[in-house]
Amino acid sequence: MNSSRIAHAALVAVLTLAATGPATVATAETLVLRGGTVHSMVPGAAASVADVVVQDGRIVSVGAAAQAPAGARVVDVAGLDVYPGFFDAMSTIGLIEISSIDATVDAAEMPAYNPHLRAATAIHPDSEVIPVSRSTGITHSLVSPQAGQDGVIPGQASLVHLDGWTVEEMSIEPSAAMVIAWPQIRTRRFDFSTFTLKESSYSEAKKEAEEALKALEGWLDAARHYAKAQAAGSQRTERNLQLEHLAKVLDGGQRVVILANAKSDIEAAVEFAEEQGLNMILAGGRDAWKVTEMLAEKQIPVILGLVAELPNQDDHPYDRPFGVAGALRAAGVRIAFGSAVPSGGFGGPDGPHSARTLPFEAGMATGYGLSREDALRALTVAPAEIFGVADQLGTIEVGKRANLVVVEGDPLAIRSAVRHLIVDGKEVELGTDRHSRLYERFRSRPTSD
Amino acid sequence: MSRRSHRPTVRMALAACALLAASPALLAQTPEPPPFYAITDVEVVTGTGEVLQGATVLIADGLIEAVGQGLEVPGDARVYEGAGLKLYPGMVDALTQIGVKSDNGGNQQSSGGGGNPFQPSGPQIRGPEDRPRTTPWKSPADDLDAAAAAIESWREAGFTSAVVAPGDGFFPGQAAWINLGGGEADALVVATPIAQRIEFPTGGFGTYPGSLMGVLSYVRQVLEDADHHADALAIYERSPAGRQRPEYDRTLEPLIAAREAALPFLLPAVTGPQIDRALALGRRYELRTVLVGAHQAYRRLDRIAASGAPVIVSLEWPEEPKDRAPDAEDAFRDLAHRRLAPSTPRRLAEAGIPFAFTSGGLKNSGDVWKGVRAAIAAGLSEQAALAALTTTPAELFGVADRVGTIEKGKIANLVLATAAPWAEDAEIHHVFVDGHPYGDGAEEEEEDAEPPSVDVSGTWTLTMTTPGGEVEMTAELEQGEDGKVTGEIRSERGETTLKDGRVAANVLTFEVSQETPRGTMDASYRAEVEGESLEGTLSAGPMSFEVAGARTSAAPAGGAGDGESGDEAEVEVADSELEELWRLYQGPVDEGDDFAIVGATVHTVSGETIENGTVVVQGGEIRAVGRGARVPGGLRTIDGAGLHLIPGIIDAHSHIAVEGSVNEGSLNVTSMVGIEDVVDPDDISIYRALAGGVTAINILHGSANPIGGKNAVIKLRWGQDADGLFFAGAPPGIKFALGENPKRSRGGFGPGRYPATRMCVIDVIRQAFVDAKAYQKEWRDYEAARAAGREPIPPRRDFELEPLVEILEGERLVHAHCYRADEILQLIRLADEMGFQIATLQHVLEGYKVADEIAAHGAGASTFSDWWGYKVEAYDAIPHNAALMTERGVLVSINSDSGEEMRHLNHEAAKTIRWGGLSEREALALVTLNPARQLRIDDRVGSIEVGKDADLVLYRGHPLDASSVVLKTFVDGRLYFDLEADRERQQAIDAMKDRLVGRGEDETGDGEQTPDATPDATPDPDATDSAEPRQGAAR
Repeated sequence: MNSSRIAHAALVAVLTLAATGPATVATAETLVLRGGTVHSMVPGAAASVADVVVQDGRIVSVGAAAQAPAGARVVDVAGLDVYPGFFDAMSTIGLIEISSIDATVDAAEMPAYNPHLRAATAIHPDSEVIPVSRSTGITHSLVSPQAGQDGVIPGQASLVHLDGWTVEEMSIEPSAAMVIAWPQIRTRRFDFSTFTLKESSYSEAKKEAEEALKALEGWLDAARHYAKAQAAGSQRTERNLQLEHLAKVLDGGQRVVILANAKSDIEAAVEFAEEQGLNMILAGGRDAWKVTEMLAEKQIPVILGLVAELPNQDDHPYDRPFGVAGALRAAGVRIAFGSAVPSGGFGGPDGPHSARTLPFEAGMATGYGLSREDALRALTVAPAEIFGVADQLGTIEVGKRANLVVVEGDPLAIRSAVRHLIVDGKEVELGTDRHSRLYERFRSRPTSD
Repeated sequence: MSRRSHRPTVRMALAACALLAASPALLAQTPEPPPFYAITDVEVVTGTGEVLQGATVLIADGLIEAVGQGLEVPGDARVYEGAGLKLYPGMVDALTQIGVKSDNGGNQQSSGGGGNPFQPSGPQIRGPEDRPRTTPWKSPADDLDAAAAAIESWREAGFTSAVVAPGDGFFPGQAAWINLGGGEADALVVATPIAQRIEFPTGGFGTYPGSLMGVLSYVRQVLEDADHHADALAIYERSPAGRQRPEYDRTLEPLIAAREAALPFLLPAVTGPQIDRALALGRRYELRTVLVGAHQAYRRLDRIAASGAPVIVSLEWPEEPKDRAPDAEDAFRDLAHRRLAPSTPRRLAEAGIPFAFTSGGLKNSGDVWKGVRAAIAAGLSEQAALAALTTTPAELFGVADRVGTIEKGKIANLVLATAAPWAEDAEIHHVFVDGHPYGDGAEEEEEDAEPPSVDVSGTWTLTMTTPGGEVEMTAELEQGEDGKVTGEIRSERGETTLKDGRVAANVLTFEVSQETPRGTMDASYRAEVEGESLEGTLSAGPMSFEVAGARTSAAPAGGAGDGESGDEAEVEVADSELEELWRLYQGPVDEGDDFAIVGATVHTVSGETIENGTVVVQGGEIRAVGRGARVPGGLRTIDGAGLHLIPGIIDAHSHIAVEGSVNEGSLNVTSMVGIEDVVDPDDISIYRALAGGVTAINILHGSANPIGGKNAVIKLRWGQDADGLFFAGAPPGIKFALGENPKRSRGGFGPGRYPATRMCVIDVIRQAFVDAKAYQKEWRDYEAARAAGREPIPPRRDFELEPLVEILEGERLVHAHCYRADEILQLIRLADEMGFQIATLQHVLEGYKVADEIAAHGAGASTFSDWWGYKVEAYDAIPHNAALMTERGVLVSINSDSGEEMRHLNHEAAKTIRWGGLSEREALALVTLNPARQLRIDDRVGSIEVGKDADLVLYRGHPLDASSVVLKTFVDGRLYFDLEADRERQQAIDAMKDRLVGRGEDETGDGEQTPDATPDATPDPDATDSAEPRQGAAR
C-alpha cells in the first residue's frame, strides 16, 4: 500500500508538471502546405511537387500552385516531403502511462471475456505518450485493449486521431474491431524466481487451450442465439450487453482482430474464423511467413508487431523476424505495423512507449526484403483499407481527412526530422511533448561552474 | 530379470508380514547355510584381461578362495553348474544414492523450492559464514537404508557394488563403497569415506546462494576457508600461547581431512563449460578432481586428458523430450548432442582417460544397461565397458585390492549369466555379493508368458477405489520389446517407479514400493487392458483395491516396438559430419587474419571518415588506414566499394552468454559472485550479436542488489570456450544498483529484504565500504606484523570484501545502475567520500539533469537510446539524454541491456542525431570508441586506427540508417560473421536436421511452401510455438 501511495503521489506530481492541452495551433483552420513533394500513396501515382489545401479537416485540393482560399494560413514546405500521416495499427497509446504502475494502466480487464468494453472509453487524451508518439509522424492509431494472462476477448479496439481535447474529438471509429486473443497452447511460462523460462507438459497445456477454445465457441453460439432472439423481437430475453456487442461480429460484420503467432494457432484461427463467418484480421503472425499462400488466398491481412525480434530457437536464421514483412508482401498479403502486437513469447513491446519507433521498424524491414513502397503503404493506406476507413484515411486525395506528415528526409530513416504534422486538419505543434520539454528545460540549466 | 507368476504372491505375503509384524526379517529368515560355494565348468571373465574357459571358482567366507581350471571342488561346497554360462566380476555403479536416506541432516538452510521463492521458509542465510546446505561430515555409511528396494533391483541386474553419496546441497557429504548384499547396513560397507562430493544446485532469489555464480563463489569460499583453517590450526599448534584458538568448524574439518587423505572430489561436469569449471576449481584448490556426468567430454578430450582427472560418465544419455507438440522441432545442437554423447566413453577410452559409469538419475536398471549398450553401439569395446564397470571404479576409489576382478583373495562379488549383464539377451542366473548367492536361476524365466497383444505406452489416469474414497493417480508407461513395461506412477503422495512391469497377452502386471512410516510397502497390480481403458486390482498384503484407468495420451515417440532409441538411431550420420557441421555452426567463418578492405567508406570514429578508403589488416591487427593506403603484395583484398566500414560495436551493458541467473538476488551485497565464473560460450546470442556488428561486450550482473556481482568483458570469438572469450587486459569491474530494483518495490518482489528505500540503498553501499576499509587494514596489519618477523595467523580471505578493496585501490571499475538524478548524485558523493571513482553510470536516464556533476566526477554514462515510461523512475527519460550529456562533457555510450536490441545498436546511436543533434561521428562513437574508453579497452578497440585490433564491421548501406545490413564482422581480424556464409551455414544445418529426423527434401520442415524471400533474408522452415524472451526484460 505504502509504496503504491508514494508512486501515486509521484505520478500526480509529474502529471501536474506536465499538463498541457492538445498541441493544436488553431482549430478548424484553412491551411495550404505550399511547395512540398507530395507522396500521395495513391497506387501508381508518382511523387510530385504540389500544394495541399486543407479545410474543415479535409483535403480540399492537391495540385500545383493552388489558390490559397481566403483566410488560409500558408505553410512553406518547399524542399520537404509530404506523406499521409502514419497509422499505428495496434497500440495501447492512452491506455498505459507507466507500465509498472497499475494505477496508470487501463489496458487489460480481469475477466477472460469483455466484448462489451471499448478502448476509447479509457483513452486518456492528456497522456504524455500521445505527443511523444506523434513525434515521428504517427497521426492516428487503432488503440486496443490487451488480453490478460488467460484473457480471450479483451474488448473492442478504437480508431483515434492522436490529438484532441476529448476522446470524442479524437475518435474516428470507437468500435473499429473486436479483439480475440487466440487460446494458444502455452507450454512455457516465465518463472520469476529464477528469471528463466519454465516448461510445462504439452498435453496439459493442450487440454487447457482446447477448453478455452470450446468456451470461445460457446460465447459465439450464445451471441448468435441472442441475436436471433433480438431479431425475433423476443420480449422475455433479458438484455445482455456482452452478447449484444459480441453479436456484431457475426456474419462478417464487425472486424475481428485475432492475435496468434504460432503456425498451428494461425491455421486454427483462420479455420475458426471461416466456420464462424468472422471478418478476420490476423495480428502477431510471427510464423505467418509459413502460411503466406493461405493468407493470400483467403485475403487475411496481418498486423505485424516489432520487426526487431529474436528468432524462435537457436538454429533459426538470425534475421528471420526481420524478413517476415517482406515475405508476406511478396506473397501478396496485406500488412500493417502495430506497436503493441504481442509476439507470442514472454515480454514483447513495453506498452505504448515504443510506438514512436514504428517508422524505423518498417525501415528496418526494408533491409530484409520489404520494398520501401510497401513499407510506406503498411504505415498509411494498407491499414486504412484493412480497417475499412480508406475512404477517410491513408492517402493524400481530395475528400480525405487531413492527417499529414511533413518530413525532412526519408520518413523511414532514423536521422530524418518531422517538420510539420497535421492531425484531423489542424497543425499540431511539434516540440511540446514531454521529452522535448524536459530537454529544453535542462539544456538551459546554468552550468554549475 | 522377470519372475514367475507366483512370485508376486510370495512377495505380497512378505509385505503383509512387514506391515503387521514388528521385526519381520527375523521371523521370516531362513537359517544361513555354510558359506562355501563352487561354480564349475564356467567361462571366467576375470576382469584382468584374462578369460578362463571351463574353469572353477571356489568361494569361502565371502571371498574368492581359488580360481582356475581343474580345481577340486570341496565336499562342503554347494555347486553351481556353470556350463554354457559366463562368470563376471560384479558390476559397480560408480555414483548413486541407493540406500542413502533423503533426510537432509538438520543443517541450517533455507529452501528455495516451493512456495514463494522470495519468501524462503528456512532461516535466513546471511552469507557464506552461515554455511548453507554444507554437510561434508555426512556419511551415508553411518545411515544406510539396507532395506531400500533399489539395492535388490540393482543386484538383480548384476550390480554388486555401488558408490553412494548424499546429493543434496553444495557439499552434500562423503561417499562410501557399499556391496549390494541383503544383510544389515553395517555389513554392506566396504570402505568409507572414499570421496567428498560437491554439487552446484541453484535456487531462487530467496536463498543464498541462489544463482549458479553464487554457488560457485560459495564453494570457493568454503574451500578457501578450509585452507585458511588448516593454516591457522598449524600456526596455532606450533605456538598456542598468546593466541586466540581457531574455532572448531565441523564443515571445514572433514574437507581438510579429505584433502590430506587425497580423496577424490566428485564435481558435476556434464557440459563443456561445466567441465572447464570443474577442472578450474580442482586446479585452484589442488583437489583430486573426478568429473561426474561428462556427456560433452567429447568436446573437451584434450583438456581432460591433460588434467589427469578421471571421469564418471552418466548413463542417463540425453533423450528426445517427451510429451510435446507434434510439430515441435529440436535445435541442431540438441540433435547433435544426443547423437554424440554416447560416443563419449569410446573417446575417453581412446584418449586413455580412466572412466567409470554412474546410473545418474535412472530409476530402472534396464535403462542403465540400455545406456551401456548405447555406448558400445557408439564404438566402446566390450572389454572397456567391463573395465568401466569393475576395475576402474575400484581403482578410482582405492578398493582395487579387494574388489573389481575375479582373483584369489578378493571379495566374491560375481555375476553368473549367459552373457555380459548389459547384453540385451543376457539372462542372469545368479549374483554373488560378499560370497552370498542371490537369484533363483534363469531357467525359470523361460516359461514366461504369451507375447503382448496390446501396447500400454502412454499416459493413463488411474482411479483407485478405497474405503476412504477414490484416489487419482497418473501413470506414464512405456512398453518395450518383449512386453517389458517401465514407467512411473504419480499421485498426491508422490511419485514411484514401477518394477517388473510386463504385458502378456492383454494383461498388465507390475509392482510398486511405497515408503510409509511403517516401512516399505510393496504392492502388486494386475489389470486387463481393452483399447484405451483398463481394469484391475492393486494388492498389498491382505488388502486389495480396484483400480480402473483410461489412457489420456498416446505412446511417446520411440515407444513400443521402435527399437532402442526411436527414429533417430536409424539414420546414418557419421560423428565426424556432425562435428564438422558443429564447427561451421559455432566458429569463425575462416581462420585467416590477413586482408585488406579496399574502397569502402571508412568511419574511423577517432578521426575523419575516409571515402574510398583502405584498411590493411595483418596478424589480426590494423596495419594501415587511409585513402590509397598501400596493400602489401599477395594480401587478400575485400572489395568495399559502396560499402561502409566501422569499428566493431561495443555493448557496455549486456546479459547474454550467462549460464544461470544474472542475479544473485539473495543478499544486498553480493560482490563475491562473478559473471566470469558463468560465461556461457555456447549461447547463440553471441552469434546473433556478431550478425549485428557487435564485437565486444560488458556482461554485467543484474540489478537486484545495491552491490551486485563482478562483470566480465569479452570479445565475441564465437566458437571459443569461456577462457578464449575474455578480453585480455580489460580491467575487472562490478555492478552496483540504485533505485527501484534494489529496493524491490516492483510487483511480486515484495519488500522481503533490506533495503526498501533509496536512503538505505546508499547506506548499504556505505556500510560495505566501511567494512572493506576495515578488512584492508586487517591485511595491512598482518603484512606489517610479518615484515616485523612475527608469525601472525593470516586474516581469512573474504571474497565479498576483496573486490571492494580493489575498488578503493583503483583496480576495479564500478558500473552503477541508476535512474534518478538524486540517486546519481548520492552515489557520486559517496564515491568522493570513500575515495573511488565511478567508471560508468548505467542507464542513467536522468543523467541529463546532473550532467555537469557527472562530468566533474569523471564518470562515464551508458544509457538507452529511447526507452522510457516502463516504470516511474523512467518517466523522465528522454531520447536526448545521450546528446545532452555529451554536450555537457560526459563520456557517453549507448547500450542495449538486451539480446535483441544489441543487434542494432547502430540504429540506437542514430537516434541521437534526430534527438539532440549529435554529429555522425559522435553518434557512432556512442557505440564504439566511447564504450571502449569507459571499459578502459580503448588501447585495443573502439576505432579504426593503426595498431588496434582488427574488430571491424562492413555494412551495406549507411550504418546509421535503419535499412543498413551487416555483411561481415571481424574480431581480431578473423571473420566471424559473413552474410553469404550465414546462408550456407543455415542450409547445411537445415539439411542435416532433415537427415537426422528422417525427412525427405520435398518435405522440408513443415512441408509448407518456401516463401518468396529475398536473398537478404531467407525465412526457413521451423515449427515451434514459442518465442524466446526479450532479454533484459527487467531493466
